[in-house]
Amino acid sequence: MIPITSYLVIGALLFGLGLVGIVINRKNVILLLMCVELLLLAVNTNFIAFTHFWGHVTGEVFVFFILTVAAAEAAIGLAIVMLWFRHRASIDVDEMNLLKG
Amino acid sequence: MTIQQLLFYGIATIVVASAAAVVLLRNPVRCALFLVLAFVASAGLWLMAQAEFLALILILVYVGAVMTLFLFVVMMLNIDMATKARSVRAYLPWVLIIVGALLGLFYLATGQGHMAFPQFTDVIWHGPTYSNTKALGEVLYTQYAYPFELAAVLLLIAIIAAISLAHRPTRQARKQDVRRQIQTKRDDCVRVVKMAPEKE
Amino acid sequence: MNELATLCLAIVLLPLAGSIIAGFFGQAIGRTWSHRVTIGLVAAAFLVSLWIAKLVFMGGMSFNGNIYTWASGGSVFPYAFHIGFLVDPLTAVMLMVVTFVSWLVHIYSIGYMVDDDGYQRFFSYISLFTFAMLMLVSANNFLQLFFGWEGVGLVSYLLIGFWFKRESAIAGGLKAFLVNRVGDFGLILGLAVILSYTGSLSYQDVFKQAPTLANTLITIIPGQSWSVVTVACILLFIGAMGKSAQVPLHVWLPESMEGPTPISALIHAATMVTAGVFMVARMSPLYEYSNTALSMVTIIGATGALFTGILALVMFDIKRVVAYSTLSQLGYMMVAMGVSAYPVGMFHLATHACFKALLFLAAGSVIIAMHHEQDMRKMGGLYKYMPITYVSSLIGTLALCALPPFAGFYSKDAIIEAAHFSSITGAHYAYWCVLIGAFVTAVYSFRAFFMTFHGEPRMDEKTRSHLRESPWVVTLPLVVLAIPSVIMGFLLAKPMLYAEPTVFGNAIFIAKSHTVMTSLTEEFHGVWAAIIHGMMTPTFWLVIAGIIVATICYVVKPGLPAMFAERFSVLYRILVNKYGFDEFNDKVIIRGTKAIGQGLFTVGDRIVIDGLVVNGSAWSVRAAALQARLGQTGYIFHYAMVMVVSLIALLSWLILG
Repeated sequence: MIPITSYLVIGALLFGLGLVGIVINRKNVILLLMCVELLLLAVNTNFIAFTHFWGHVTGEVFVFFILTVAAAEAAIGLAIVMLWFRHRASIDVDEMNLLKG
Repeated sequence: MTIQQLLFYGIATIVVASAAAVVLLRNPVRCALFLVLAFVASAGLWLMAQAEFLALILILVYVGAVMTLFLFVVMMLNIDMATKARSVRAYLPWVLIIVGALLGLFYLATGQGHMAFPQFTDVIWHGPTYSNTKALGEVLYTQYAYPFELAAVLLLIAIIAAISLAHRPTRQARKQDVRRQIQTKRDDCVRVVKMAPEKE
Repeated sequence: MNELATLCLAIVLLPLAGSIIAGFFGQAIGRTWSHRVTIGLVAAAFLVSLWIAKLVFMGGMSFNGNIYTWASGGSVFPYAFHIGFLVDPLTAVMLMVVTFVSWLVHIYSIGYMVDDDGYQRFFSYISLFTFAMLMLVSANNFLQLFFGWEGVGLVSYLLIGFWFKRESAIAGGLKAFLVNRVGDFGLILGLAVILSYTGSLSYQDVFKQAPTLANTLITIIPGQSWSVVTVACILLFIGAMGKSAQVPLHVWLPESMEGPTPISALIHAATMVTAGVFMVARMSPLYEYSNTALSMVTIIGATGALFTGILALVMFDIKRVVAYSTLSQLGYMMVAMGVSAYPVGMFHLATHACFKALLFLAAGSVIIAMHHEQDMRKMGGLYKYMPITYVSSLIGTLALCALPPFAGFYSKDAIIEAAHFSSITGAHYAYWCVLIGAFVTAVYSFRAFFMTFHGEPRMDEKTRSHLRESPWVVTLPLVVLAIPSVIMGFLLAKPMLYAEPTVFGNAIFIAKSHTVMTSLTEEFHGVWAAIIHGMMTPTFWLVIAGIIVATICYVVKPGLPAMFAERFSVLYRILVNKYGFDEFNDKVIIRGTKAIGQGLFTVGDRIVIDGLVVNGSAWSVRAAALQARLGQTGYIFHYAMVMVVSLIALLSWLILG
């Protein structure tokens, strides 16, 4: 059968790729949000793996809620991006430094 | 190599490859589409882990709603592709460090000395009468009823927030008031002024 | 016993009542009734003091008890403070002296302050003073003593600055109060030492523990340990130095002459300045256990006796001369205390009260006649115009010079002999000081006498035509005071000093090792024999020599003093500047304190507290914030990196740790 380690490795790889995407992405804030979705996908995969191996559904419940929250967050995040674009006509991440101290 | 393993590793490859594509490609539309592929493939993985309800929910909610939203926004914002030069070279060291660190930690965590996961090969395999939906529902409406309601409220808040953020009030259109139009008098609109004639 | 307590309470409260009535209702009841009420009440107090004296001396009664508990702490502060009285022979003597002189000064003030606006205020103040002084002498615990101490100091300030519209009067009052305060600092420290080592402020408890305390050591400077009794006595004596104007805290007494003459007589001759002397006598059970403190008292007293007397030779203000004379005589009293001849000192206190008050009041009479002119260079030849003042002044001067058989002879000569007999450190120095001081006393007192009453009249014609003898309210006290100045020594020398036991009895404690009093008693063969014997001592001849010198300088050849002043100009200038005490106080102490204050203000307050601490803490917060804000770059990439790094760190810690 498939050992749990495989699932965990997949999760880790997805997480790492998501992080990498956040780090090397400089020009597109929507891409940033997509990489956040990747991170969430990795975590969800982890939970599913453990549910599969432990037998009880607690992990899946957690995945359920993560999905809900991720959807909400994506919606609001995109709304903010759109507002920003209305005012600045640019989605360059480097230009979003108005919170500079 | 059983069929199961073959299938698993094949789908796993697709997942990782499309995730890499999301990160590396330049065209945001293509990135979004590859993300869709990643989600669909991982739904397949979840199916293989006997979490069919969640797998389908993933496709319906995530791909169907969230990614569609992403695509809408990408297209609405009308991004100029020429300005999207990404400097991968500059950040490569950071990348390698991060990934290396994470993988190293992962190995330490699951290796022999710690949680000894490789021993875990006994999978709890449910029989054919197992319904993931039913199992989830049994728990969700009893033990986790409150979080369930809270999640609903959270979604409501998200809706309200998104609408109030992006909503643009309609321009006030000028309406005709016919009664007032008839009642206007000449003296309100015209005034005669005496002026001295211009001299040559 | 309760009879004495009631009497003592009465004697204390009568002048207080007078003071309150004259003070608060003086405007309502008018001048005549003000002085009638206060004089009546003080006269009543005097009669009560005579009654107390009769009970104590004839009936042998005494009383020591608490009337009222003022405060007592529980377990937190296990001390109790009471109001109580101690009536014994020492107290009785002081009560009589104080009330007698106060009564006479009250009567005198009717004449002296007749055209002053603050008439009622004056009477209220002198009655208040009487109250405070009586509380001081009748106290049976240190706290009440201190209350009276501070009370007399306060009233002295009020009275010196009585004519408060005068700049010099205000300055004089402040100087008196402040110098007194310096002494009181020592007194408070002494009280603290006593309270902490004996647990009580009552005389009875402290005196009982005196022998044990003498052997208890206290270390103030590491390496030097002193006996507790010595430390306490020295500190108490510092208080006495301030109040009784011993060197170097004597600087306030000449300036206190800015006040009206009656109070110079009452406060600065007879009563307040003798509070320090009284205190040393009252504390004799403590002082006898500390030879160091006794030596200190002797040496300081002797220094004052001689050197302030010399200063009286160069003063031209008649009141200043008498003031320096008071300083000198106070030194004599302290010498007597220091050589353990307490009864002698107290006797001199009593006789001095009489003849010094007499001299002050006579000076006041002269000043009234001269329309408030006080410079002796403008007087002269007054004997024709003011006979009563002249005669009483002569009696007072003779008493001051200690010529037999006047009162001063018995007391002052006894002091000189006591200094001769004593063997403690400094007694030898003290003997020479008081001996030469006798000569100096004679010179300056007769100098003042001759300059004022004899010689050619040096005043202007207008003043001379107005010269007349003062009204009876002024001259009556002079006559009344002249009588004891003549006969008091004669009558009271034996019972007070030489009888066995003296009238003071147990009130004064003398240690067995201090044999001065016994030697004096052996030498005494009766009052008449004392006169004959006195004429054979060097003291007597020094006094005669002094009178002759004064006669030559001021009657026979009036140009001589000016020549001396020119010849010894350096010495003369030192004397005129009063040995530079005032300059020293001004330049070193006052300017030094001001400089310290200024320094603390500019450096301590402005730079350290305002700059470093207050502004500095604000500045450092701002600087830190300025640095910290550089971390907020605004770039999402940086924020993401920080998050990632922290995540990795946390995971590492969880997994590896």
